[in-house]
Amino acid sequence: MFKSLIEKNEKRSQLSMMAQYLNTCFMISTIEHEYLVNIEKGVVKNVEEGPFVMPSYVFKLTAPKNEWIKFLQHTPEPGSHDIIAMLRRKVLKFEGDLHPLMSHLLYFKLLLASLRPAESKNEN
Amino acid sequence: MKIEKEPISGQYGKFKIDGIDYRIYWEEAGQGIPLVCLHTAGSDGRQYRALLNDKKILEKFRVIVFDMPWHGKSSPPENAKVGNYKLSTDFYISQIMSFINGLELVKPVVMGCSIGGRIILHLAINFPDKFRALIGLQSAGHLDPYYDISWLHRQDVHGGEVCGGIAYGLMAPTSPESDKFETMWHYMQGGPGIFKGDLFFYKFDGNIGNEIKKIDNSKCPIYLLTGEYDYSATPEETKSLADTIGIEMIKMKNVGHFPMSENPKEFLKYLHPVLNKIS
Repeated sequence: MFKSLIEKNEKRSQLSMMAQYLNTCFMISTIEHEYLVNIEKGVVKNVEEGPFVMPSYVFKLTAPKNEWIKFLQHTPEPGSHDIIAMLRRKVLKFEGDLHPLMSHLLYFKLLLASLRPAESKNEN
Repeated sequence: MKIEKEPISGQYGKFKIDGIDYRIYWEEAGQGIPLVCLHTAGSDGRQYRALLNDKKILEKFRVIVFDMPWHGKSSPPENAKVGNYKLSTDFYISQIMSFINGLELVKPVVMGCSIGGRIILHLAINFPDKFRALIGLQSAGHLDPYYDISWLHRQDVHGGEVCGGIAYGLMAPTSPESDKFETMWHYMQGGPGIFKGDLFFYKFDGNIGNEIKKIDNSKCPIYLLTGEYDYSATPEETKSLADTIGIEMIKMKNVGHFPMSENPKEFLKYLHPVLNKIS
């Protein structure tokens, strides 16, 4: 579900400029599946899909798969269009050291939103 | 080269607010019924640029927008220190009333968004006879904290970056990117701790509670409009407020927390009929 974060690197050069001093590793969880995302100088270098035995990461974003699917629509519905909106609805949990996330909040929002399809279609 | 001039003029003036002098900046355009517009937390009066340029509105209304103290081109007071700004309900009311009295405005309409949408409720409770009408954009009676606002003012996090990131998500994915960017840019230009200081009013001091029942719509008409993508003041929360007051709310499609600046074209479709009723 999040493996393609790495595949669009070339298209995201502008985005990586927003996080050019950021080196971090974070976890995205759909509860059933986990993805470890490694970022170097604002570029997604690697996305590893679990299961993991002893994963090491700085922070973790957890939401049920159906909530991530709603977030990843071309035009998400109100309440699913932003990670803080999901936090407000208590369907997304932020855990760990949130400094890299909060100091690059827009970058992470746009990074995740970059997985939305360019064309509008029903993805359910 | 001929430039395209806007009908807006800006001015500075010294206002006494709670006994202290403040240098306030405001912009205005049009003539007729005074329409005072209140910007959101951590931003400034530029949010109302589309209204200040709307020919239809300017025919009947004198649109006036001031930057709150510490915001935009308005100054902090003398002897101010970084980190000690905290907006209280009383100070917010005082600055609005000082501005209205200073400009000798008689029975103006006041329209506010977000914190402005909250304070108009306080104005309706305390001074219903002073206003021709009150318009609340993204109004909610209270807001329980849903994220840790200390992130908005930390020396190890760039305030402009984080405040911009928060503001960006409050807008609709359907709003034009250029207008969203400008709305976010205003947030990126706020002073350290100002957005957080405003949220003290929004999330704590300005919570209305049962006081809302004191609002009498027959003394001063109230209009409530909320964008569907707002998760800070949701349409459901505005509806609950409207039900208590006994009025209809207007749910605006395709906009979020900043209707007047993130998607002015869409917003004006909803605002024009409201202003027609008021005039």
